[in-house]
Amino acid sequence: MDEEVTLRPCDLADVDDLYEYASDDKVSAWCRWDTYTNKEDLLNYMKTCMIPHPWMRVICYRGRPVGSISVTPYTGADRCRAELGYVLASQYWGKGIATKAVKLTLETVFKDLKDLERVEALVDVENFGSQKVLEKSGFTKDGVLRRFSIHKGMVRDRILYSFISTDPLV
Amino acid sequence: MNHDEKHQKPKTPTITLRKFTLSDVDAFMSWAADPRVTRFQRRDPYSDPADALAYITTHILPHPWYRAICIDNTPVGSISVKPAPGEDRHRASIGYRLAYDYWGKGIATEALKLTIKAAFEELDHLERLEAIADVDNPASQRVLEKAGFKEEGILRKYVRLKGETRDMVMFSFLVSDAV
Repeated sequence: MDEEVTLRPCDLADVDDLYEYASDDKVSAWCRWDTYTNKEDLLNYMKTCMIPHPWMRVICYRGRPVGSISVTPYTGADRCRAELGYVLASQYWGKGIATKAVKLTLETVFKDLKDLERVEALVDVENFGSQKVLEKSGFTKDGVLRRFSIHKGMVRDRILYSFISTDPLV
Repeated sequence: MNHDEKHQKPKTPTITLRKFTLSDVDAFMSWAADPRVTRFQRRDPYSDPADALAYITTHILPHPWYRAICIDNTPVGSISVKPAPGEDRHRASIGYRLAYDYWGKGIATEALKLTIKAAFEELDHLERLEAIADVDNPASQRVLEKAGFKEEGILRKYVRLKGETRDMVMFSFLVSDAV
């Protein structure tokens, strides 16, 4: 299965494949964005955000886009850290694909992003699937940040995970 | 002095918080020009009061919540509450600095307690105050604990400070913590 998960830059031609999960309520529930209802909006997001992004990849399973993963750096004095985010089509959950995508990301992102020393991820306290992905990928739990972020109108506790450039790849 | 007086801690002087004015620039320099105070800050100490005046004008005066910590209406430090960027208006971070001669008297702790109360009263929707302290700054960590903040964890390689990437301790105080 391992060799079947690959990462590559996003292409506007991916819109149909990406729309399959971007229009899925089950997928958008844990994401910051609302379910997409038309491809034009998604195409616009791909043009303005995904393609110019400092580090964004499409997750492919057997060559077909089934998700995306990004590492977004902070600026100024905080440019040593960046936030990890990923999304995967729901029919591909539970197969270790997200874990593989995170591991592939950690192998190259510290070389790709100048000044990066820390990759962090904020996960909802009830998003057990994502917590497992990060733990299996070698992230450390820094702590629980109480009432940290607003998710779809609700204030939520978040778990902060980190992976430092010197941490061992698993 | 009798036995009791000898072992009593000196009382914290009465402190008040107020907004800055341009005429506070000299008082401001008493901490902002001191490398002992700026050691854990991103900025280097000020050497020119003109730069300090510019900072007061462009950063402090228009700031959403920035106060001078005063003894007898003279500033001996400052404390600020900065709302989180974007849509997370329920969250804000606290920073504070105190002139070196006023360390160790409980002043920063008292300023924090006053600020916590004022911030939750004055800032709409505020639910979470947070603060980070360098792992090598135990004095600041103690101040936050004494003011009632709870430690949430150590954030490895969190910020760049004067050419070095530092581990920081994260603390929070929720509106529900104030009883």
